[in-house]
Amino acid sequence: MTAVQPTAMMSGRYQRAFTIAVVFLVAGWHLAGAGGQLLQNRPAYSSFAFQTAMWLVMALAIAAGSILVLRGAPGWQPAWAVAIIALAASTAAAAASPAGQMLAVNWAWGSAGWTGVLVLLHRRFAELASYLAAVALGILGVQLHDGLHRTDLAGFLAVLAWSTIAQVAVAVGVRALDAAADESASAVRIEQAAREREATAEIIRVARHARWLALQESAVPLVAELAAGTANPGDAQVRIRCAVQAARLRRLLAEGDEVPGSLVHELHASADMAERRGLAVEIETAGALPQMPGPARRLITDAAIAILTAARSQARITLTAVAAGVAVSFVADTGTVVGLPAASEGVWIEQQQDGDMLWAEARWNNG
Amino acid sequence: MEQRVTVAIIEDHPVVTEGVASWIRSDPGQRVRLVQTARDLTGLSAGARPSADVVILDLELSGELVTTQIPVLVAGGYRVVAFSGHSDPAIVMETLDNGAHAYVSKEEGRDHLVEAVLAAAADRPYVTRSQARAMLADQRPSRPTLSEQERQALLLWFQGMSKASVGRRMSISENTVRQYISRARAKYAATGRTAPSKDALLARAIEDGVIKPGEIMPYTSFARAGAGSSGLGALDP
Repeated sequence: MTAVQPTAMMSGRYQRAFTIAVVFLVAGWHLAGAGGQLLQNRPAYSSFAFQTAMWLVMALAIAAGSILVLRGAPGWQPAWAVAIIALAASTAAAAASPAGQMLAVNWAWGSAGWTGVLVLLHRRFAELASYLAAVALGILGVQLHDGLHRTDLAGFLAVLAWSTIAQVAVAVGVRALDAAADESASAVRIEQAAREREATAEIIRVARHARWLALQESAVPLVAELAAGTANPGDAQVRIRCAVQAARLRRLLAEGDEVPGSLVHELHASADMAERRGLAVEIETAGALPQMPGPARRLITDAAIAILTAARSQARITLTAVAAGVAVSFVADTGTVVGLPAASEGVWIEQQQDGDMLWAEARWNNG
Repeated sequence: MEQRVTVAIIEDHPVVTEGVASWIRSDPGQRVRLVQTARDLTGLSAGARPSADVVILDLELSGELVTTQIPVLVAGGYRVVAFSGHSDPAIVMETLDNGAHAYVSKEEGRDHLVEAVLAAAADRPYVTRSQARAMLADQRPSRPTLSEQERQALLLWFQGMSKASVGRRMSISENTVRQYISRARAKYAATGRTAPSKDALLARAIEDGVIKPGEIMPYTSFARAGAGSSGLGALDP
């Protein structure tokens, strides 16, 4: 968890800065650019009140869009709802302009395009492109309806190029900055993971070395006794000693988990102690286990120690990633039920005695 | 008189081959007959007819993983029981996906290998604890959907309970426990790449009543729902 936070924060901070910049750009354009044009051409409109109403609709769309993007990446439905309101306002304002001078007095085209840039900024580029095309087609449609002349078409293309290129440039720029932020965040993440792996490898190496040294004292003499014939493989005691040493050898050879300070390691430590007094212990994990808080881990290792102490010759401990957390189970020949810690710290413990074997499961729920 | 199951061992460590052979010999019913041992796969893929019913295959021969060779063996008519020290769930899943009947880890060999060979010879599922572990850990998008009961039976079996204890814990019979675990395994045979061995496992599971044909392909439910809504049944009050 701690590994992800700084990188996520960094990338998030960049993205927020870009978003705020675009909000100011779009709001500024609508107030000064579009608003200025609207006031300047006041006498030319057949209904100034209608144009003002459309300008206010557009302003509301921009305000709603700004709230949406500042709250986080909006889903396609709210994003497109805002974009379509802006598109409708732009087309309506153009349709209500005097036929011959529509392009000259049009304040809405730019604002509609910028609104699209605002709400579709972090979505697929194709969505923004099709939106800008739809806005342009709306204007062209109005022009065709008014009767299109060659000079009008030239004007249309000029305005199209001028407004759309600026909008596309902003979108592409923000996208490039986004990608750079993601890249640097992932580089930091990779570096941190590598550092963690290194630290883990060192911890595991030290633990393995210690176990290897311990085996020198326990497994080697047993093998020597077997070879010399002083230990009889038919003897039950010798067989238990063999089983224990085999379990320890197996763990030494097969240990592969890479999470330092995890519950698995703490359980291994408890198992080591049990093995020293002759218990054969298996520990297995299934699935990617989430990190568990310290108090919950302590409760589970307490249960482990209680069960391992009561077990006579064998115990199996498993850790399984389940839907809501982790299930840690113990199967051991305790002969009786064992006093286990009461449920707390988000950990629930159940047990069931079946003949000689005890099954107990501690479930920790994540949240 | 029932025919004994014939088996070949492919294993590059003679001491392991010797150990497996001794487990086969010490089977009280003498149900399995060892007919061939080899240190690599060259001897097996050449023959026109399979030389054994089941191959016990060590997944690592001379330092190389041979999971990709399983489809060749399966195409040659062999049933494969993988026997390996690699208990990494990803390798177990790849082994099953490539058409092996069962996976037995080296720790489980003494208790499970002969039984797994017998089950494989009959095209019946055999799920070891290490195999249950891989199924529980499976997060691939292509994994089959297991029912809550199937998942719980697999979990308790992986945790180390006997199947009888699993049954008592779940308040069902031991037989039903076997049924749940076998059904989960059969669902795996229905996913991933195709292999004659997987088809045989599935056919046998359907024949044994472990799984119904309708439970195998959850993704056909869309087509079935379409067919149902156009039928008269859907219009009945």
